[in-house]
Amino acid sequence: MRRALLWLLSILVAGPAGTSTAIAQPAGSGSLNPPRSPRNANYTITARLDPATRTITALEVITWRNITSRPATDLQFHLYWNAWKNTRSTFMRERALGEAGIAPAAEGSGSAGEWARIDVTGVKVGGIDRTASRRFIAPDDDNADDETVMSVPLVEPIAPGAAAQVDVAWTAHVPRTFARTGAIGNFFFIAQWFPKLGVLQEEGWNCHQFHASTEFFSDFGIYDVSLTVPADWVVGATGVRRRLRFDNPRNTATHRYYQEDVHDFAWTTSPDYLERTARFEQPGLPPVDMRLLLQPEHANQAERHFDATRTTLKYYGEWFGPYPYRHITIVDPAYQSGAGGMEYPTLFTAGTRWLAPSRVTTPEGVTVHEAGHQFWYGIVANNEFEDAWMDEGFNTFSTARAVAQAYDPNYLALRYFGGFIPWVFRDIELSRETEGNRLAGYRRDAKSDAQSTPSFRYFPATGGSITYNKTALWLNTMERWLGWPTLQRILSTHFDRWQFKHPAPRDFFDVVNEVSGRDLDWFFDQMYLSSNVFDYGVQDLKSGRDGDHYRTSLVVRRFGEALFPVDVLVTFANGERVTEHWDGKDRWKLFTYARTGPAVSAQVDPNRVLLLDVDRTNNSKTLEPKGAHAATKWSLKWMVWLQDCLLSWAALA
Amino acid sequence: MSGADQRTESEHLRQGHGGQLELDAKAERPALQLRRGALGAAIDGIRRVTRAPAILLGVWALTLCVSLPLALALRGMLAQHLGSSLAADTAASGVNYDWMQEFGNQATGLGVTFKPTIIGFGAVLDNLSAFLDNTSRPIVIVGAATIYVSIWIFVAGGILDRYARDRATRAYGFFATSGVFFFRFIRLAAVQWVVYGVLFGSLHPWLFNRLYPRITHEVSVERTAFLVRAAFYLAFGVLVAACAMIFDYAKVRAVVEDRRSMLSAINASLGFIRRNFAAAVALFATNFALFALAVGIYALIAPGAGGSGVSLWIGLAIGQLYIAARIWVKLVFWASEIALFQGRLAHAGYVARPQPAWPDSPAAEAIQS
Repeated sequence: MRRALLWLLSILVAGPAGTSTAIAQPAGSGSLNPPRSPRNANYTITARLDPATRTITALEVITWRNITSRPATDLQFHLYWNAWKNTRSTFMRERALGEAGIAPAAEGSGSAGEWARIDVTGVKVGGIDRTASRRFIAPDDDNADDETVMSVPLVEPIAPGAAAQVDVAWTAHVPRTFARTGAIGNFFFIAQWFPKLGVLQEEGWNCHQFHASTEFFSDFGIYDVSLTVPADWVVGATGVRRRLRFDNPRNTATHRYYQEDVHDFAWTTSPDYLERTARFEQPGLPPVDMRLLLQPEHANQAERHFDATRTTLKYYGEWFGPYPYRHITIVDPAYQSGAGGMEYPTLFTAGTRWLAPSRVTTPEGVTVHEAGHQFWYGIVANNEFEDAWMDEGFNTFSTARAVAQAYDPNYLALRYFGGFIPWVFRDIELSRETEGNRLAGYRRDAKSDAQSTPSFRYFPATGGSITYNKTALWLNTMERWLGWPTLQRILSTHFDRWQFKHPAPRDFFDVVNEVSGRDLDWFFDQMYLSSNVFDYGVQDLKSGRDGDHYRTSLVVRRFGEALFPVDVLVTFANGERVTEHWDGKDRWKLFTYARTGPAVSAQVDPNRVLLLDVDRTNNSKTLEPKGAHAATKWSLKWMVWLQDCLLSWAALA
Repeated sequence: MSGADQRTESEHLRQGHGGQLELDAKAERPALQLRRGALGAAIDGIRRVTRAPAILLGVWALTLCVSLPLALALRGMLAQHLGSSLAADTAASGVNYDWMQEFGNQATGLGVTFKPTIIGFGAVLDNLSAFLDNTSRPIVIVGAATIYVSIWIFVAGGILDRYARDRATRAYGFFATSGVFFFRFIRLAAVQWVVYGVLFGSLHPWLFNRLYPRITHEVSVERTAFLVRAAFYLAFGVLVAACAMIFDYAKVRAVVEDRRSMLSAINASLGFIRRNFAAAVALFATNFALFALAVGIYALIAPGAGGSGVSLWIGLAIGQLYIAARIWVKLVFWASEIALFQGRLAHAGYVARPQPAWPDSPAAEAIQS
């Protein structure tokens, strides 16, 4: 009976034979030869989207090979969409802890039809029906209401090195967007959408529930996916389209996409997309065909998207290693879709606005960042549940560096009138070190979690500051401390060694020690294991006549708990500059000088090596202070704002 | 005219107040006097404001007096945070955005309003946007605004009286009239508070937090969403403007006709607007265009961060010119509404009115000389 149902379903999904259309093959065709990854989790999926009911009906055949040394007694699947089934899931409960609260306006606040669900209707392992034995488990928090992980016990364990074929049939309801996944109007972005195996490790299955502030982890494999959508709709997906078949009676089209050596598959469809193509060519790097699916209202921003993608492929390629896939799809998501700024293998969503002034890095910033994830996430595939900083943090650092190379100067823009109207502040040039690395957010949340805490256990509202910001800041600190050539070699070695694999934090730290030739574990003890903050400063600076010379005393202090060696620069009135080196371990240190002239100023960390210092203002003192001037200037500027504000109120008087 | 004269006239009007509606009814008869158009009223309003520079100067000084103490308080916060840090050097010579964020991270009260948006034209956008989006402000700003609006309520009588008479009333007369009308306008302000409370406290949240999200829930094109929001702004703005116009003419009629009942003043205002709808709306639009012009010019010349030397004072001067221009526009609103009212509805019950203009004739010339 079950077999018959599956067969019927397969007929439904595939549809009757139609007319087949040959498609020009982009470079690469989705194949990588020789294989770059173990390819131990291969998916062949056939899916049909019904836009009217926002339903996906699908079948998948997984060929999974056990690459550990332990037998698998069950299979564990992610069913991510069940996180948005109701408010009792772990995802929604965690989300309620954050500032956003449950179900904000753009994400599932509407009718019941805007929630999601994924229902597995059939599971066979090695031809044996295991549907009845499937059950939901909650390995992270024992939440009995969470249905994002499904366990299927096996009749016969799968031995190390052995493979099994798994057939899964399911239906899913596409939500109003949650976590970049869903639909609005005719725009569909479909990600984390199929029953997906966790990663079997020596310790057992690594198959976390879906959490509010973390992403994903899965094995590499081959994806061969056929998607049936309305005939005139444009489709973008991971990989390369190998075939397009129209079914005239049903007015549908089936797009078959194929990609080797990836660990996920996402797709999008809409009748509204404008399609643009361009090519990335750079000496020393493989060419890449770029395909851009653009919203019509952003038609004039196509080149900005391509240019940002080229910037990424060039700089990341030169700094870390070449992009291997030969093609990339850039998706410009629909307004309010909530799908912007997300990465998937060979495809990413950017995000721009209708009004996007030049010299402001929208859409460039997000485009570089998400394209950059092809390297940190797509190719070097760490566990995003547990060590999200390894991809998000590395990529934030890399994004800031690439944006600084390609788009400096860029300026602060604020948006007014419901966030629609931008205004560019040409006085405020954004710096890579502070804004690029997002120092302000880190400063606010610095103590919220130790980075070594599994990412899914970070406090949801502040986890991003530890994941993205702190990592970018300490990587940039390493760059300023060890020098870019050394850090570049560290990152390229890490990339080369761990591409198409799953590195853990220790793997990176080992590469750092090896390449730098220094034992930097103490540094990672500060940055990674601890939530202590860095705050060095000048406590006191005095300079007075003492006989025929001036006596200067300087007290520098470690206000924070974290340790880092810093330079101390003392400048004298005669122009003499003295640089001291302080190991930064004691709480304070006294420096005294006898000079013919008085001191003018003192600075701790004058070159701003330690970008994680949360209070930069206290890092210096001068005996010729201009604080009063600055305060007068800014308070008068502010006063005009206040007067204008008062007059706005007085308009009603 | 002295304050004593005004009081006498007030007394006189109080006694004869019952005949006010009758006077209005008579005034409805067409061609009773020259019917002034909106443009003429606007020009006359500008002339009246220009002829009373002390009012403009005084209101500007009031605005400065309310804002300066807070600016000094903020200055103290900024100076304390900067201390003798070298960060002040870049903050003084340009923008130290990193320091601004660092300050913002620890700021409380007044300090939380110290943001990049205060720079140049951003300040105006921030306030306009906050007005239309009904953005809440820190309590200390609300407190300052309450004091400022209260002062406006106090001086409104004197200002309107000065423009209605179109001749100098001197300080004593000005403040005496202000005093006479203060409690009346407080009563009017209570009505205004209720009306604006409904508009900003109930209608705005319903429009922008409930209806707008519902309408745009499935909108996937930003331009479309913006158009919807712009339409909402327009609808809400028109409502606020209509209320402001009604309350303006209520004040005008209260002063010009020495009305004591603010409800009757509102009723009379509604009657006047209804009978002169096109002119009143056209005048409001003309005055709003003046406001837009002032804002537009400031958008072009608004100083950026600048330094702490001469550029600071030039920037401050430009900023104050803009503030003066905004006050001027507000005063022109009132003066031109008075001019329109006096041009459209002349009757014997006026208390505050311009001196009669003698006809241009040899006899008049002989009398004048």
